[in-house]
Order: sequence, then C-alpha cells, then structure tokens
Amino acid sequence: MTMCRFATATVAAFILILTGCGKDASEGRRVIAVIPKGTTHEFWKSIHAGALQAAAESGVEIAWKGPPKEDDRDEQIKVVEDSVTRRVSAIVLAPLDETALAASVAEAAKDGVPTVVIDSDLKGASHSSFVATDNEKGGMMGAERLGSILGGKGRVLLLRYQVGSASTEKRERGFLAGIAKYEGIRVVSDNQYAGATAEMAYAKAEDLLQKFPDIDGIFCPNESATFGMLRALTSVGRNGKVKFVGFDSSTKLAEGLRNGDIHGLVLQNPFRMGYLGVKTAIDVLDKKPVPARIDTGVMIATQENMNTPVITELLSPKLPPTVR
Amino acid sequence: MPENRLVSTLRSLGPLVGLLLVLVLFGSLEPEKFLAFQNIRTVLTQTVIVGLGAIGMTFVVVSGGIDLSVGSSIALSTIVVARVLRDGGSPWLAAVCGVLSGACVGILNGALITRLKIAPFIVTLGTLQIVRGIAKYVAGEQKIDAPASWLADLMTKSPSPAWLIVSPGVWALVVLGVFFGAVLKKSVIGTYAFAIGSNESTAVLCGLPVSSIKIRLYALSGLLTGLAGLMQFSRLTVGDPTAATGLELNIIAAVVIGGASLSGGVGSITSSLVGALVMAFLANGCNLVGVPNYAQEILVGGIIVIVVAMDRSRRMT
Repeated sequence: MTMCRFATATVAAFILILTGCGKDASEGRRVIAVIPKGTTHEFWKSIHAGALQAAAESGVEIAWKGPPKEDDRDEQIKVVEDSVTRRVSAIVLAPLDETALAASVAEAAKDGVPTVVIDSDLKGASHSSFVATDNEKGGMMGAERLGSILGGKGRVLLLRYQVGSASTEKRERGFLAGIAKYEGIRVVSDNQYAGATAEMAYAKAEDLLQKFPDIDGIFCPNESATFGMLRALTSVGRNGKVKFVGFDSSTKLAEGLRNGDIHGLVLQNPFRMGYLGVKTAIDVLDKKPVPARIDTGVMIATQENMNTPVITELLSPKLPPTVR
Repeated sequence: MPENRLVSTLRSLGPLVGLLLVLVLFGSLEPEKFLAFQNIRTVLTQTVIVGLGAIGMTFVVVSGGIDLSVGSSIALSTIVVARVLRDGGSPWLAAVCGVLSGACVGILNGALITRLKIAPFIVTLGTLQIVRGIAKYVAGEQKIDAPASWLADLMTKSPSPAWLIVSPGVWALVVLGVFFGAVLKKSVIGTYAFAIGSNESTAVLCGLPVSSIKIRLYALSGLLTGLAGLMQFSRLTVGDPTAATGLELNIIAAVVIGGASLSGGVGSITSSLVGALVMAFLANGCNLVGVPNYAQEILVGGIIVIVVAMDRSRRMT
C-alpha cells in the first residue's frame, strides 16, 4: 500500500518536472536545434553562449542538446533524428564523426530540415554550410610565431594530438608547412602522439624532454597536449627557457602565458562559431544565399597582447547564462 | 496453482504497464510528435541494438549470470565488420565475421567463468576491458571507414522495398525475439537455464552438465551481441572502437525493467524487449519534450529503481 502511494507520488512528480520542461511559449517561433559533441567542456559552453546571442538578436529559440553520453556517435545520431521529429526549423550540428552523421543529416534534409555544420566537417553535400576554424591556417600561425621568437634558427619538436582527429591533423600539417619556411629550423621529432587526456600527454611530454633535453622550440596542437607539455616543462625546470607555442586556451594555459612559460597560444573563436552557425541557419531558412565555407578566424595570444580586450575575451570566454 | 498463474501474469504485465505509462505521459505532452508514425518507426529502429543485446542478456541473467562485456563486444563487432569490408571482403562475409566475433567473446566469457570458477561479474568486468582493448588494437586505435554496402541499409528508417514499413533490423529483432522467447520457455536449453539460475547446486546434483550449458548460454548471448554489433555498424557506417561504451548498463537495465531477477531463475524475452522499448521511448520522449540531459539521466535512473521496487513488493504480496 505504501509502495503504491510512493510510486504514484513519484510518477506525479515526474509529470510535473516534464510539463515544466514543455515549451508552449515557443508556439510560432522558429526553433533551431544546436547539437554539440558534448556539453561539459568549456569550448562547447562558449559555442552555446554564441548561439544564444544570435538567437536573442534574431528572435528565434535555441534547443541546446548534446549526446547524453559525451562523444558517443550513436547518441548524437539519435539527437539529430529526434530533432527532426520535433520539427525544429533547422539544425546546427558539430558532428562527432564526418561519416557516421552524414546519413542522418541527409535524412533531415529530405524531411525539409536544413543543417549547418560547425567545428568539424561532414562528408556528403546535404548540409548548407560549414562554419569553423581554418585549422591549417592556425597551425601555420603557430609556426610563424615560433619561428620568429626563435630568430629563425634552432631545433624544434611537434607533439601531435591523436591519430584520426581531423582538426588537429590539419593544425599539425599547417605547422609543419609553416616551419619549413625557416631554413635554420630543424624539426627533430614530429611522430609522437599525446593521446586523448592531459595525463597521457604529460607522460609522453616527459619522455620527449628526456630524449631531447636541449630542444629550442615546441608546438602542441590542442589544449590537453599543450597543458601536458607545460606540466612536463615545469617539472624539469625548462619552462620559460624553451620557446613554447600551444593551441586553445584554459585558465592554466592563460596563466602560463602570463608567467612567460608559454610564448604563444593560437586561439579559435567558439563564441563566433556558435553565433555564426545560428545566423547562417537563419539565412538558410530565409532563403538567402550562404557561402559553403565560413571561417570563424584564428588569433595568436602572446604575453604582450593578452590584456587587449579582444584577446582577453578569447582567453577567458563568455559563458552562457545559467541554462534555463 | 491459479494464484500462482495470477502472480506470473501480473509480473509479465508489469513492464507493459510501465511502457503504457511512458507512452501516455509523453503522448499527452507532445501528442502529434511523439505518437506520429514517423517517430514510432524511429524509436523502433533505435531499440534494435539494445533489444538484441537484451535477448542474449536474458538467457545469461536467467541462469544466474551477468555479462558486462557486451558494450565492448559490440564495438569489436563493428570493427571486424568494417575491416573485412575495407580489406575487400563481401558484405555477407563481413556480417558473418562480425556476428562470430561476438560469439567468440561469449565462449571466452563462458570458458573463463566455468574453468576458473570466478564469478561472472568479475570475469566479464575483466573481459569488458580486454575486448575493448582488442577492438582498439584491431582498429589501429582509430575508427575504420568502410566502403558503402547494403549493410548500411539494415538500420535505415525508410527501407526499400517500402512494404517493409520498418527497417530490416526491426524485423530481425521481432523474429529473433519470438524465436528465442520460445527457446527460453520451451526448449531444453531454456529449461536448463532456469534450473541453473533457480538453484545451481540442485542442478549439479540432478546431473546437469552445468559448465557446458553455461558456456553454450554465454556463446548464444555473444552471438546476439555480435548481431547487435552488426546493427551498430549499420547505423554508424564506420567501425568505431569507442562505440557502445557503457551500453551494457542500458541492456541490463532493459532486462531488469522487464522483470528479470539478477539473482537468476526469473525472466522472459518478451518482457526484456518491452523493457528495451521503455528505455528507448523514455529517451526519445525526453528529447522531444526538451528535457536537459542531466534531468533525463536522473529520470531514467529513478525509473529503474522504482520499477524494481514495485516488482519486489508485488512478489512479496
């Protein structure tokens, strides 16, 4: 009997929660589903903030929904499918996989829901536009920064991120192409991979510094690799002495830049990516022509420019107001 | 006896009532979207992978065991299918190899459990890691792109020919569900599974070859997991060594919501499949209504606990 009452009460509570989530206010307004690769990383929160800004300006509503399990391709496919069923007006998607998501985006297009792809590219021609960082250019800018602070000569190493990660591979390619322009600079190692986590990157970086104790310059293509390398440099007391350029930002990396342990950080603009993703989706819905590729820009942060408003904004990005 | 029958009917109706509740709840919140034919078709397709896994898991759970390695095994199967395709094998060969890779994992589990006499929970906790590692090794630590083939159509939402109405994967689930439902209820191996799960020492005393039955049950479960992996490949169209991480928990949850007892001796295939449907409709409904992920996770977890608690109280009265 008590069990029964308990169950009824709980079911009633669930119904209350669920009805609270229903969005009847949205009647008649355009709803744009924004689907990130995950929801907990700072990078995606900046994208969310950008999307919300664009939505507020254009009077549309954002349905922010990532895969319930971070980085799970199948769960992301489900979110795309359910967004179509929900009859959203358009989808802004950061695909976890360039192949695996292609079929569901094609089905969405067939059902009259256009998709704008952000962050990572998608195979096929079903999406309306691709809004993302030019990663190759970012890598090249990193090489230019490292080349110039080394005075065009020295021995450098590249700690790669992970096999099969398209965006970081482009950065690595851009870096190698950029650094090749300096005749006095020799790349002594470019075949080591940091792996998925900062912990793995730390261990790999320690090994590399052991092997090349007199290295002059280092480039890392993403946040976790940069952080792992920073930790390793600090632990052997080479921080500040080795010229070090990284990619992306976090509180720790910004601190490293301020202390002079890091000599440059290539920064993407996730806020702009979310903002332009939604704006482009609205243009598609309004039947305006949109470019097939939109570059959201990269900038390089240094100790000298890190206090300018533009760079500060990118180093410690705006986060969305508490989500609903 | 009639009382007993009443109890067992009630028990088999329990999950159905749960499913109805979910349907009514979301149906009243989002009637024209949630109950649309298109959506039902989508959810049925989304149920196939967990459903196939749940059929196999029911055999294992009924016999008093558990298999935590199924998520990894599904990933391995997607990798095997993708590699065979990439290396020029025919789609049929790829499918068979993928399904068999699952069966091999099942046989390994069964052999370790019976030969080393270690609890299934521990053995499969180990093989969960081992098989995931093997999947990553076979894949060279990256996802494998496979050339396009008809395997990708197994899980399409708009099947051709159109008279199929739902994807071939859904039909496979229905046919296998009915078939293995009968196997569990009527066949010798099913009866043995119940006997071992109800009381293993009695089963031994009765002269049942418990070890070899267990290996066969895990192999059967592995075969179905391999098939689930084939469907996962069809959905992703790539082999992904990180696919289905943690999916074993969804599969076990489906079986438990279906009323099976983790201490063995109780369970039915149809109820497990209803459990899988409950999970799928719940996730889909939350997506449609726009429930944030954290609330969805709390909701699903809460429902698992409540369903089991209700089942327990029903059994005691």
